[in-house]
Amino acid sequence: MAQNISPEQSGAGGSSKHNDDSLPVKDNHAVSKRLHKELMNLMMANEKGISAFPDGENIFKWVGTIAGPINTVYASQTYRLSLDFPNSYPYAAPVVKFLTPCFHPNVDLQGAICLDILKDKWSALYDVRTILLSIQSLLGEPNNESPLNAQAAMMWNDQNEYKKYLDSFYEKHKDT
Amino acid sequence: MASLEPTQNKTWDLSLYELQRKPQEIITDNTEIAVSPRSLHSELMCPICLDMLKKTMTTKECLHRFCSDCIVTALRSGNKECPTCRKKLVSKRSLRADPNFDLLISKIYPSREEYEALQEKVMAKFNQTQSQQALVNSINEGIKLQSQNRPQRFRTNKGGNGGGGGGGGASSGGNNNTGSGAASTRAGSNAVHAHDTASNDSNSNTNGTETSAPTATTAAAAGTGASAAAAAASGTMPAATSAGTSGASTSSSRMQVDDASNPPSVRSTPSPVPSNSSSTKPKRAMSVMTSERSEESESDSQMDCRTEGDSNIDTEGEGNGELGINDEIELVFKPHPTEMSADNQLIRALKDNCIRYIKTTANATVDHLSKYLAMRLTLDLGDDLPEACRLLNFCIYVAPQPQQLVILNGNQTLHQVNDRFWKVNKPMEMYYSWKKT
Repeated sequence: MAQNISPEQSGAGGSSKHNDDSLPVKDNHAVSKRLHKELMNLMMANEKGISAFPDGENIFKWVGTIAGPINTVYASQTYRLSLDFPNSYPYAAPVVKFLTPCFHPNVDLQGAICLDILKDKWSALYDVRTILLSIQSLLGEPNNESPLNAQAAMMWNDQNEYKKYLDSFYEKHKDT
Repeated sequence: MASLEPTQNKTWDLSLYELQRKPQEIITDNTEIAVSPRSLHSELMCPICLDMLKKTMTTKECLHRFCSDCIVTALRSGNKECPTCRKKLVSKRSLRADPNFDLLISKIYPSREEYEALQEKVMAKFNQTQSQQALVNSINEGIKLQSQNRPQRFRTNKGGNGGGGGGGGASSGGNNNTGSGAASTRAGSNAVHAHDTASNDSNSNTNGTETSAPTATTAAAAGTGASAAAAAASGTMPAATSAGTSGASTSSSRMQVDDASNPPSVRSTPSPVPSNSSSTKPKRAMSVMTSERSEESESDSQMDCRTEGDSNIDTEGEGNGELGINDEIELVFKPHPTEMSADNQLIRALKDNCIRYIKTTANATVDHLSKYLAMRLTLDLGDDLPEACRLLNFCIYVAPQPQQLVILNGNQTLHQVNDRFWKVNKPMEMYYSWKKT
């Protein structure tokens, strides 16, 4: 499904037009209206394994959580992410970052995520729910071809070792 | 999600449903078909702004619909492809205006201003309940209510008159209030309360306590509101949200209604509820219902009026499972191989039509499906159908493996069935047989 690409590559590929607030922007009201609708749908749908809510009173900044997918090394972990919506949303993707440190081939240690649907494969039909579900599935199925975290990509093949490393990683970052 | 896959080649893969579907026959007699606004909502909604379509534009090749403004902005801002399916869209010329669809919408919602005003109102109420201040208020409210209800509960238990109702209600209400750790939970449960209030007005009346008066009014507003979607929503939505801010009397009556009904969270809790409660559990309106339904038992038809009201409320309140609506599921519906063999009365009447290809929303339940089937078969066969076979109940089975048929509980949604038994990415195969009564 969703393929991931390196952010540098996509930046060079001229998709700097995304996340650019100078786009033909509808008024902010329309954007916040859509975000409110999404919020309402999300609360009513009560999706398992993901959740999201505006961070404070600003509807353009959300915090989401993702449960690590079961039957993967990330099971039983919970990740917090930040979602920053541009004024051109939903025509441009939100900036999504891991707040919880995440050791993963396609996530760097600052939390940046390398995922095509957040870059050049963005569509106005994606929403918070589908973004979080895509990231959740990326956790279990990394794209080791274009890693942001080379160490993680290298270790991925040995899942037992990987899990062990992951546990020590979380032990180390428990407080952050 | 699969629809977002880029489609490079020009071949058309038709699903079994698409290959088999036939045009619906035009109804010429007085048969009425009620379609819940909720089921229409996904059709009438622009997937970009999530609002009702405005100046509909349809993509010429893939036939996806958007508001004119939305799709033009999307084309200008990003990739030149259909936002829904990624089919190439060169320019505005790959789109055509769809005035017929606009006409259809204006038939269903004659006053767009009214609809929009209502949406704004609902949204404003929702925002109120979502803010941090609302959270604080709701916690304070909860504490206050609890302390007010404590003596009352005590008295009811002691007096023992209808003790189960009053006492249980009060305590569950107390939990409810303390449990509102997040404003969200509260908002959600309020919405559902409104629901239950509507569906149980008779129950709350028979409880006969002095606090039930406000409930009855709300219920009446919701119940009779079935005539117009707008009326129902304006009647209940404010009531639902205001319940959170009003005094103890409203809230305690709410609790009693709670008690009289089944767990209110039919929609949010996916876990199956015992099925023996089919006569009281709130059901969503089926997409197809005809006047013939009134031939069924009285309690059933009462239930129908109610579900109509419910579904209206849902849509206007921006539907609880709206995301679910977008998830459609395809079914191949076959007669049960042993119980519905070729010499069966019904199968003989149906001949080649006994296999059904159905596409429906994933949050429809097995009950909906069996009702739909009964209705459909009755409509299709008309007079050919022996009197005894009309409006039958069906048992629905799924076959996770060939030869292994599992009977399905009525209140599971198709989504749940699919998750539990089917899993593979092809139309779910289900079987039907007579219900043995």
